[in-house]
Amino acid sequence: MISPFATVLRSLTKQRGVRASLVVDEGDGLVVDSNLQVGQNGDKVAALTASLYRKARLSARAAGLGHAIFMQLEAERGRICAAGHNDLVLVVVADPGANVGLIRVELMKAVGALL
Amino acid sequence: MSITAVEPWVADPLRQFVEEARTVLALLLHPNGQVVAQFGFARAVDVMSACALAVAIHASAGELGKQLDGAPFRGLHHAGRERQLFLGEAHTPRGAFIFFTVFDQESSLGLVRLYFDEFCRQLAAAAPPPPTDVAPVLAVNFERDLNRNLAALFGRA
Repeated sequence: MISPFATVLRSLTKQRGVRASLVVDEGDGLVVDSNLQVGQNGDKVAALTASLYRKARLSARAAGLGHAIFMQLEAERGRICAAGHNDLVLVVVADPGANVGLIRVELMKAVGALL
Repeated sequence: MSITAVEPWVADPLRQFVEEARTVLALLLHPNGQVVAQFGFARAVDVMSACALAVAIHASAGELGKQLDGAPFRGLHHAGRERQLFLGEAHTPRGAFIFFTVFDQESSLGLVRLYFDEFCRQLAAAAPPPPTDVAPVLAVNFERDLNRNLAALFGRA
């Protein structure tokens, strides 16, 4: 059975340098659906990124900045981008050389598609 | 952070789990209901109740799993309004242990499951070899052993 998120995940994963894309429940940190390359641990990424995103969202609100829109984490060997809507977080794991601007546009489009 | 353990080798894995997963209560016990270590409980009587309930739930889930799926269910999660519980089984060279933890919005089921897997690995690695002269668990000694363990955890010998 194809999940309602399959199209959204496909559009994210086809971006150059994207290694994984996931739809994660923000509260539980569990994977709702994912598109992963071999070697990616979806459960681990989902649990930790959902926790991070939730804290970022609460931080933005605490600082009076309103809703968190887009979160990006840069690491030595890649980056994690996330955007949320209601209880869902869309997560992208990408190579260091991936075009973050394009990923951001696709993520925001994907969040819009979840509305 | 107050972790108390009847068997010292379980303390470090439990401490790491609690720190990483940010849970509010944690309990490690033998499948017979004897407590091995605890975090977050203030009273011995609460540990006693939690142990009895955790063992009963674990046994029921195991039997239900056998009947429905041919194998015992080994993980259980219940989400309450404010708090959630997770019950799992950890295997070590010292035998199986039941692990019970309670968490709130500071954590999530995903994090608890993630760090529970890590906890199981660390517990198995930290476990000393099984003793050669293991006395059988007798019903007649159960309460004495339980009280001894609770006294060790809460410092009221």
